[in-house]
Amino acid sequence: MTTNLQIWLAAFTIAFLYFYGLDHFIMSMQGLPINMDFTPAQ
Amino acid sequence: MKESRYYSRLIWSMLLLITAAGFFWSGTISITGEWFSGAVASVEKVSTDTVVTEEDAELKLVPAPRPTRADYPDIGVSSRSIVWVVAQMHLFFGALVLAVPLFVLVIELLGVYTGDSRYDDMAHEFMKISITAYSITALFGGTLALALFLLYPDLMTYLMRVFGAQMMVYAILFFLESMVLYIYYYGWDALRYGNAKWVHLSLGLLLNAVGATLMVTANSWATFMMAPSGVNEVGAVIGNIWEVMKGPLWNPINLHRFIANIAFGGAVVGAYAAYKCLAARTAEARAHYDWMGYTSNFIAILAFLPLPFAGYWLMAEIYAYSQQMGITAMGGILAWLFIIQAVLIGTILLAGNYYLWSGMSRTEGSKRYQGFIKYIAMVLVICFLIWVTPNTLILTSGEIAALGGSKHPLLGALGIMPAKNIAVNLMLIFTFMSFQIYRRSDKVATVSWEKAGNALMVAIYVVAIVNIIFAGVYYGYFTNTVYKVGSSVMQVVSTLTVIISGVVLDAFLYRGAKTLPSHWGQVSNRAQYALFALPIAFTWLMALMGYVRSSVRTHWHVYTVMKDTSPDNFIPTIGYAGNMMTIVTVMFVLFVLFIFWIANLSGSKQLPPYAINKVPATERVGGAA
Repeated sequence: MTTNLQIWLAAFTIAFLYFYGLDHFIMSMQGLPINMDFTPAQ
Repeated sequence: MKESRYYSRLIWSMLLLITAAGFFWSGTISITGEWFSGAVASVEKVSTDTVVTEEDAELKLVPAPRPTRADYPDIGVSSRSIVWVVAQMHLFFGALVLAVPLFVLVIELLGVYTGDSRYDDMAHEFMKISITAYSITALFGGTLALALFLLYPDLMTYLMRVFGAQMMVYAILFFLESMVLYIYYYGWDALRYGNAKWVHLSLGLLLNAVGATLMVTANSWATFMMAPSGVNEVGAVIGNIWEVMKGPLWNPINLHRFIANIAFGGAVVGAYAAYKCLAARTAEARAHYDWMGYTSNFIAILAFLPLPFAGYWLMAEIYAYSQQMGITAMGGILAWLFIIQAVLIGTILLAGNYYLWSGMSRTEGSKRYQGFIKYIAMVLVICFLIWVTPNTLILTSGEIAALGGSKHPLLGALGIMPAKNIAVNLMLIFTFMSFQIYRRSDKVATVSWEKAGNALMVAIYVVAIVNIIFAGVYYGYFTNTVYKVGSSVMQVVSTLTVIISGVVLDAFLYRGAKTLPSHWGQVSNRAQYALFALPIAFTWLMALMGYVRSSVRTHWHVYTVMKDTSPDNFIPTIGYAGNMMTIVTVMFVLFVLFIFWIANLSGSKQLPPYAINKVPATERVGGAA
């Protein structure tokens, strides 16, 4: 049985992972890589 | 019957594909025909002569004219002001008549798919406005051409030489546009059902294809003047017509104008619907025009949401082409106009949101979402205030001393782009939220995963907002310029993610949903006034940004190639430009009122004299309300 908490946790995890990956993708696509903690890699 | 309908759809889909492919594929076309450019032809003839060297050939190229002040006719009134007013009026009406058929086609198609004749009637009524506006567009276009040839003969001679027969192609397209437009409008009822309807839709598609081609052709003249291509440093034509047209700013302007035209067209027909709604004498008519106003606002705001991104691309390309030009626009004399732009865009967003919030009273289901409105309004107002905060202030020396510098110690940080990027993106996200709750207000989801779907939507909103603020603050204030600029793309994509995922999620979440009754016409009159505010703000905004776009050329007719030596070869003061923009906006509004009156007049019918005495006094002025 999925609880409300599990639903919210799953939703925020998906959203977080998506935007985290998106940020890395967008910046590296422009030749501006970023480290795992979002600091500029260059 | 079923089979023939299938073939109609197939043929129509193919037409749509061919039209779309035509525009995309056009990027690879290379037109080298002699008749397209006299100058190119002369170069080719020279190059075939083996005796003549390349240097000789270059000498035979015709450079751009260098007129003196005496070469400009003086008619006692500022030539620039005349051309300014006429060109702006032509552009306003051109935008309207090119945009309306675009969404009319979509609405007509919706009518075919849903089988709801109200869509068809509404689309037809939208076209009624467009058809009157078309004549006015042509009249202003003709006047503009005459004014340009009279007042700027050398410039026009040069542009004619550069573009050659392309100008004739434009004229032919204009004829084609007129013919298809009249067949499309007057053939509406004759081609209303069955396969005939698909013929009618195909005509609509053709009309839009011709209209879009007309627009991109005319855009190439404006972008050539800003960023000339296909010519050498003295303006002599060295490329073919395609190289001349496809300058660095052509596609950004094409996209920006295409989207802006739709938003502008939606706003103008929205005002028509509001006018008719307020004047309606029956509940049925009020309901119809309320629905029409809602649809228009939907079109205007939906088209408006991606517009800042197209504008961003255009400015990025301007900077890439010439940093000096970019700085003139956004960091020099014209920079303050972007603050006025922020005020106008803020007005548009606040009016659009207000209309949606008022419209929620149409359904009882909206009570579930009304609590959100005050928070959305709060975010919009805060972001609006950040957006209008200028970077530099016009201060006296005493004020500078009291302030400790030309920038405010706290608010100064809000004057630069990172703060404004955050504000703009949040305003767009929260405007979309207004849309989403409005569209949800008359529905109750019935799918089993409703809770999970809503949780995901909330998570996307929250993480996207955090991401936008983080990117703006961290990369904008604590890293170098390159990362500051690069991170703005992250913000744009985050906003687009919210919009796209919101549309897609709701499409699945509300599949087979229970629909609550909506009472069209049950909306406050104040909401209709918001629909009047939209086109006025849009018109002023177009006049403002058109002025900025044109002024970045400074003292050049054709940037770096042909100097402007006329008495008006300077950027006017902001006050003067503001007056000119206001004049053209007022003129446009007056002409639009004339169009509304004409559209209303065509639906009125005078009763014959012998029947007047038999009809009650209240009904003597006949016709549709």
